[in-house]
Amino acid sequence: MCPAHGRAVATALLAVLAAGCMTQDKVGDAINEVNTVFRGQYESILAQKGTRVFAVNHQAAFPGVRTAMFRLGMRMDSQDAGLGYLNFSAPAPRPLNLQEWREVAQADLPMMREIAARHVGLIPSWFISFEPEGLEIVLNATVIPAGAGSEVSLTMRMRQVTPPPSGMPRREYAPPTGVHKGLDKIWAQIERELGVKSRSP
Amino acid sequence: MSEPSYADALPAQYRLHWYVLERVLGQGGFGITYLARDTNLDQAVAIKEYLPVDVATRRPDASVRSRTEDQGERYRWGLDRFIREARTLAKFDHPNIVRVHSVFEINNTACMVMRFEEGENLGALLERRRTLPEEELLRVVLPILDGLELVHNAGFIHRDIKPDNIYIRADGSPVLLDFGSARHSLGHARTVTILVAPGYAPFEQYHSSGENQGPWTDLYSLGATCYRAISGIAPLDAISRSKGILGSTREILVPASTIGSGRYSPGLLKAVDHALEFAEKDRPQSIAEWRTELTAAAKPATRAAPPTAATAPAAAPAASLRGPLIWATLGALVAAAAVVLWLVPTEDRKKFADERDRFESQRREFEQQKTRDDKRREEEESARKRQREAEKLQTAEMNKQRAEQEERRKRDLEAKRKEDADRARRDAEVRKRAELERKREEQARRAEPVAPPPPKKAPEPAPAPAPAPAPAPAPDLVALAAQARARGNDAESLALLRKSADQGNARALFALGEIYAAGRGVPQNSFQAYVWFSRAAHAGNAEAKAKAEQVKAALQPAEVQQADRLVR
Repeated sequence: MCPAHGRAVATALLAVLAAGCMTQDKVGDAINEVNTVFRGQYESILAQKGTRVFAVNHQAAFPGVRTAMFRLGMRMDSQDAGLGYLNFSAPAPRPLNLQEWREVAQADLPMMREIAARHVGLIPSWFISFEPEGLEIVLNATVIPAGAGSEVSLTMRMRQVTPPPSGMPRREYAPPTGVHKGLDKIWAQIERELGVKSRSP
Repeated sequence: MSEPSYADALPAQYRLHWYVLERVLGQGGFGITYLARDTNLDQAVAIKEYLPVDVATRRPDASVRSRTEDQGERYRWGLDRFIREARTLAKFDHPNIVRVHSVFEINNTACMVMRFEEGENLGALLERRRTLPEEELLRVVLPILDGLELVHNAGFIHRDIKPDNIYIRADGSPVLLDFGSARHSLGHARTVTILVAPGYAPFEQYHSSGENQGPWTDLYSLGATCYRAISGIAPLDAISRSKGILGSTREILVPASTIGSGRYSPGLLKAVDHALEFAEKDRPQSIAEWRTELTAAAKPATRAAPPTAATAPAAAPAASLRGPLIWATLGALVAAAAVVLWLVPTEDRKKFADERDRFESQRREFEQQKTRDDKRREEEESARKRQREAEKLQTAEMNKQRAEQEERRKRDLEAKRKEDADRARRDAEVRKRAELERKREEQARRAEPVAPPPPKKAPEPAPAPAPAPAPAPAPDLVALAAQARARGNDAESLALLRKSADQGNARALFALGEIYAAGRGVPQNSFQAYVWFSRAAHAGNAEAKAKAEQVKAALQPAEVQQADRLVR
């Protein structure tokens, strides 16, 4: 899910910057605008499919969500069954596989280049690529009782494993196609794990 | 796990992170293997715990420690190797090599988590059937060779291949287990284990240098495994073979080509004998080389009809009239071989003499090593005995002190009870006297009705009943948590705060927020910090609202919404 990312943008753009084609400020502006656009789309996707209700009680739903995440290759960093909170992370592009990742790149890279081109120009924007290296996907899951069932909600962000180059803003929002695919994959896995279909709240 | 033979094993239901132990699968020189359940994925796994019995032991708190301080370094070195090897083995993804899922350190030792393979080990299968027909034998050996090649190419050798370490799954596919002895990467051998499988380990494994070990070492063991499947018995152990070659005994290995003649193809038998060559340089040097010999042997044109277990002569020698004949023939062959050895030409004698000198020097080295090991073991045993006696004395002393304390406590209790009873009796007497006095005064007043009433004497106040003991104040869990934290026990501190927070204590809620915000004893997590600070603010903590706002800056708006649902 982690498609585009700050490091790739920053590295590629800095390379061009070194050639004297643009300023560091422009690179920062490009990253900021990518963040803003991706954030808007991320929040709109979360509003649609960020929360689902499952017809199983909390005692079953909580470990079910945890196991589903394990099966998708995520590692658990923190959990609090009393609160109903789970926190996972994994190297990008997990929970997507490389094929799914390529599909995300194919769908979202043109948009990212277009945004960057507004700040750094068309030719430098061609240097932007879509690699998952150096990024982690972080997922927060909450499981709270909802009537006789449980309401599960998810949020996700990208985290740079290595610090960003000095002065560059962080990229923390995953590309929209990645968010779509990631959420679909996670919900399907949780449904398989709990043995029930989910519904919107 | 209560079996007395596994005295050092962890008990059933013991938790290692999210793995719950069910029973011991086996114990070797380097560790104990358990069947366990992965409670996260709800599946069975095998867990191997590093516990080299000669240098380490289990403590009552479940930790593993070196037996003596001197052995600490040796133990630690082995532990590091165990972890490194697990990481290397985890890279091998081959259907015929046991899959290593994970390794972690716990209880001052390490555990390797492996896929649990269900099936029957080849040792048990051969125990039951004695021999395997050629086709079946190749179905076991060839896939194992493929997996082993992967291991050799990565610079490892297994060093403990034997029928007991080969499992046959329900679908008939074999899998090679127990890389516990894969201790030395090629070219970096250090001290070598003396814990070898007699019959399956070649001579070079009995030496401390370990310099001559390589793929040919595992090939000897695989050849010996084939030999067992062909003859129904394990080959002679390498030490006995060395004595036979030296001429000090008459024990020589009857070749597979003799023992399996007529029942297996000559090519296969020749390949097995080649792998079982005594001198390492005379054996095939790589898996590829031996595989070529074996697969050539497997061509149908050169193979005799595979016998069944029931018809194989070696399968039931006692039940067949041919049995004694075969053994008589073998005896004659042994005698003939001895004569041939004696009558070989001069050049060969010289060669044998050279070999004999080499073996003799290796044997001497082995015996010296064994003497040293025996002496060391005796010393260790004696030290352990002394330590046990000291522990026994210490335990007896502690028991005595505990008994004295208990006696003192009983005496104090009895004295207090007596004192309470005396006080109650005295109080009752005082009350009784006061009552009598009051009655006497009443009677006197009635007897003298005209007399002015005497000044009213203030009645002696009845002693107030002993106040009921005040209920013990509820312990201040937040203060206890602070104490636990000061002692460095973050886990206890967190548990106490959590308990208090569940009761709605605003201070505890705030303290939890601070713990997660700073990542003290837990992974730093702004989401959780925000939840706890917000809850503390709801519970009336004035400072918490500002703190919640502070950590909120690190969260996405969507995460804040998500966290707010946990606060409500």
